[in-house]
Amino acid sequence: MKKSGLITALVVIAALCGAAFAPVITVRATQGTQAKPAESTSAPVTWSHDIAPLVYQHCTTCHHPGGAGPFSLLTYNDARRWGPQVVTVTQSRFMPPWLPEPGYGDFADVRRLSNHERALIQQWAELGAPEGDPKEAPAPPHYDATWTLGKPDLILKVPRPYTLNAGGTDVFRNFILPYPLKQTHYIRAMEIVPGAPQIVHHANVIIDRTASYRREHPDDWQDGIPGMELLVDSGNRFDPDSHFLFWKPDTPAIVESPGMPWRLDPGNDLILNMHLKPSGKPETLDAQVGLYFTDQPPAKFPMLLQLDRDDALNIPAGDAHFVVEGSLKLPVDVDVLGVYPHAHYLGRDLEGWAMLPDGKKKWLVWIRNWDIDRQSVYRYKEPLFLPKGSVLHMRYTYDNSAGNVHNPNSPPIRVQAGNRSVDEMSHLWVQVLPVNVAPNAPDPRLLLEEAWMRNRLSKSPDDKVGLYNLASALAGEGKFGEAVTIYEQDLKHDPKDSRTLTALGAALEGAGDWKAAETRLRSAIDAHPDACDARFDVANVELRHEELNSAEADFRAQLAQCPEDAEVHAGLGSTLAKEGQNDAAMAEFQRSLILDQNDEAALLGEGELQAGAGQTEQAIATLSKAVSTDSTSTDALEQLARAYAQSGQLGKALDRLRAAVRLKPDDPLLHSAISQVLAASGNLDDAITEQQAALKLLEDDPDGWNNLGVLEARTGKTASAREDFEHALKLQPDHAEAKANLARLQGHD
Amino acid sequence: MISTSLAAMCAAAPAPYGIDLQGRPVRELAGTGVHVVVLVFAASDCPISNRYVPEITRLNHEFESRGVKFWWVFPNPSDTAQVVAQHDRAFSIAESTILDRQQNLVRWSQATTTPEAVVFQSESGALREVYRGRIDDRYISLGQERPAPQHHDLENAIAAALASKSIPEPDGPPVGCSIVFLQR
Repeated sequence: MKKSGLITALVVIAALCGAAFAPVITVRATQGTQAKPAESTSAPVTWSHDIAPLVYQHCTTCHHPGGAGPFSLLTYNDARRWGPQVVTVTQSRFMPPWLPEPGYGDFADVRRLSNHERALIQQWAELGAPEGDPKEAPAPPHYDATWTLGKPDLILKVPRPYTLNAGGTDVFRNFILPYPLKQTHYIRAMEIVPGAPQIVHHANVIIDRTASYRREHPDDWQDGIPGMELLVDSGNRFDPDSHFLFWKPDTPAIVESPGMPWRLDPGNDLILNMHLKPSGKPETLDAQVGLYFTDQPPAKFPMLLQLDRDDALNIPAGDAHFVVEGSLKLPVDVDVLGVYPHAHYLGRDLEGWAMLPDGKKKWLVWIRNWDIDRQSVYRYKEPLFLPKGSVLHMRYTYDNSAGNVHNPNSPPIRVQAGNRSVDEMSHLWVQVLPVNVAPNAPDPRLLLEEAWMRNRLSKSPDDKVGLYNLASALAGEGKFGEAVTIYEQDLKHDPKDSRTLTALGAALEGAGDWKAAETRLRSAIDAHPDACDARFDVANVELRHEELNSAEADFRAQLAQCPEDAEVHAGLGSTLAKEGQNDAAMAEFQRSLILDQNDEAALLGEGELQAGAGQTEQAIATLSKAVSTDSTSTDALEQLARAYAQSGQLGKALDRLRAAVRLKPDDPLLHSAISQVLAASGNLDDAITEQQAALKLLEDDPDGWNNLGVLEARTGKTASAREDFEHALKLQPDHAEAKANLARLQGHD
Repeated sequence: MISTSLAAMCAAAPAPYGIDLQGRPVRELAGTGVHVVVLVFAASDCPISNRYVPEITRLNHEFESRGVKFWWVFPNPSDTAQVVAQHDRAFSIAESTILDRQQNLVRWSQATTTPEAVVFQSESGALREVYRGRIDDRYISLGQERPAPQHHDLENAIAAALASKSIPEPDGPPVGCSIVFLQR
C-alpha cells in the first residue's frame, strides 16, 4: 500500500474526530491471540500449578537475576511481565535453545519442550496468565551468583578486561589465559564466569599446548585477538584433543565423566574463544575460568575426530541449496560420546550419521534449522556404540541467498571456507572413546588419527598438517619405515622445517638408523637453535646409545632454553644415573617431579635409585606411583616387581610381572624375570616352563640357556641341564657362569 | 491498516504528553524549529529495545541539526523515574525522555512494542503521524536476526518526512517486547 494515499484518507477522517479521546480497546498482554478456554475440561492452567514447574525446569538456569538470560522468570510477576514473549518464543521453538530434531540422536540434557508443555504455556497466557494458589507453586530454585561447584582449585582471569562496544555486529574474540602453575594437573571440571553474562553467547575453550597463539601475537595478546576460529600448534607429541570444552550460559560448569579428566601442563595456555553480542551499552568483560583438579590421572582416553568439507565450500552467490558431504571410516570399535556440528551463518540443514558394516544407519544428529547463535555440543544419554568399519557421514546444506536472514553479505557474494564470520565452515566434531581394545594393541587413537589424516590427504594431498600428523601416527604405531617416507614427503615443502626434521629423526631411530637420526636431529637444531624438542630427541638418542657425555651436554643445553620442562630434567637425571652420579641424578628426578608429579621417567629413575640404595620401601612407593600413573607401563611394573622381590615380597613381585606380561606377552625378559621369582619362591617346575617360554622368544640368549640349565640341575634333570650349558657356551664360548656350571655338573658325575 | 490508523487519529494529542524524569509535565514535543518529532517506545528491561540505543543515538546525531526531535518514551509501569534515570545513565542516553505513566502516548500512537518508533510531522504546532513501526529490519522475529540491517525504515521515514515525501511502509512488524498495558 502506498503511504501517500493513506495520508489523504487519514486527514479527512481526522477532521471528523472530536476533541475527546476516542474509546480505544485496551490491548491485553496476550495481544494477537484470542482468549479461548483451555481445551481440556480439567482445572484451568495456572502459574503455581502448571507453569512454574516448567519454567523452573527449562528456563531459569539462564533467566534468573544475574543470569545469562536478558530477564528473570523466577517469580510470578516476572513471568506475567514476559508472558507474551514466552508464548512467542516457545511456539516458534526459539526458546529454550535446542536445535537437534527429536529422534535423530538420543541426547542428554534435552532442552526441547514437548508440544503439551508449549500448549500449556499458550493456554496460560490466553487465560490472562492467572497465578492460581501460590501455595501450590514449587519453591523457586536458588542460583549462586559465583561458582556453582564451589571454590575452584585454580582461577584464571583474562589479563585485561575487555570492553565490548555498545552496538554493531556480533564480536568473536579470543582471550588467552596462561596456565601459571609449575606442575601438571588433571582437570575434572571447569566453570566459566564471564563477567557480563548477558553478552556472552557461547565460548569454546581451546588448550594451546605450546602457547603458539600467544607467541603469534606477542604485543597484543593481553587484549584478546579478534577472530571466529583459530588454529593452535599442538606440539610434537601425539596428544590429541580429547574433550569438548564448550560453554554456554545454561551450563556454566563443564563436568567430565569419571576417569576422563583433561590435563594442563606448565607452559600451556587456555584460549577462551567467545561469541559476544552487544547489549546497547558498553560492557566490560573480565572473564574468569575456574578449574577443579583431581589427583586421579585419566583412565579412559577419548579423542575428538573431525569430519570436514571446508575444501568443498565454494558457494555461489544466491545459491540457496549448496550441499557438501563428507565421510570417515572408523578403524576401531568406538563409543560415540558427543557431537558438535559447526557452520557459520549460511549453514541451514546439518546432518550427521553412521552407516554400520551390517548396512544399518544410526543417526548422530540432525539440525533442520541451523542457527550459529544457538550452537552447542550435544552429548549422548548413553554412549553410541559403532563397530570397526562403520562410516561416519556428514551432509551440510548452505543457503547463500538473500532470503537467508543470517547471510552476512548483502547482497550475497561467493563464499569459501575461512575463519571470519563472513566465511563459512563445514565441521562435524565427534567425540569417540575407543572400546574393545586388545591388551597389546597399539593406542587405538593412533589408528583413528591415521584414518582421519589419510581421509584429509585424499582431499588435499599436499596438506602439511595431514602429512605431518599421518607420519606421526604411523611412527606411533611402530610403522617407522612408512613414517620416514611421509615425513620426507612433507619435508619437500620446507626442507628446513625443524619440527619435521625432529620427527623424521625420531622415526629414523625407530627404524634402526640412529646415526641418520642424529644427523637429521642436528639439522633440526641448526635450522632452529631454540627448538627444545630436537635437542631433547638428540639427547635421548645419545642416552639410549650410551653416548653419555653428549647426552648430558645436550640435556643441559636444552634446560637453558626450557628450564621448566619436566621431561628434560628426567632425561638429564637418567643420563647422570648411567654415569654413576646418583646424587645429581636424584636431584634432577626430584626437580622433574616438582614440575610434573607424574613424570614417568622421573618416577622410574627415582625408584631405581632408591632400590639401588637399599631404600626398598621408598622405592616401592615411588614405583607404585609410576604404575598408578600409567598402568600400561611394563617398565614401571617390572621395576616395581624388582623392588618387591628385593624386599622379599615375592607374591607381589609375581603379580606385577604377570600384569606386565599380559601387556607384553612376547617380551622374553619378562618371562625370564617371572622364572627367577618363581625359582626364588621354590616353584622350580613353573620356573622352568617360564624360562623355556623366554627362550622360545629369544633363542640366542646365552644367559637364558645358562639360567634354564641351573633350574633343571636343581630339579635333577642333569642331562637337560648339561645340554643347556653347552648351548650357552656354543652361543658365547667365554660365558663364565655356563663354564663353571658345566664343570660343576661334570664334577658331580 | 486504515482501521488501525483511524483509531490513532481519532485520539487527540494528550495533554500533557507525560512527565519527564524530574516529574515535570511535558506539554510540548516540538519546540521552535522542530519539523519532525520521533517517539521511540522503549523498556529498560527489554534487551532488543536496549540494543537499539546506539542506533537511535546515531540517528539523533544525524538529524538533530535538521529540526528533528527525538524522545525516548518509557510506557511500562515498572519503569519508574528512578529506574529510567539509572538506565539512561548506564546507556548514556542523551535524548529527552518521557515517562508515559498513563500510557496516553501509547494510546495516541497505538504503539504495541518496545522498541517501536512513531514519526510526526509538525505543521503549525499540530503533529501529524506519518510513520509507525520498526526502526530497521535487523530483527525479523524473536530469534530471527540479521547480522546487520538491510532496510533502515526509521531513518528513511525521517528523511522522507523532512523532504515532505511519501513514506514507505515497513515490510515487517516491530520486534521486541510487548508493552505492558495498564488494565482499565
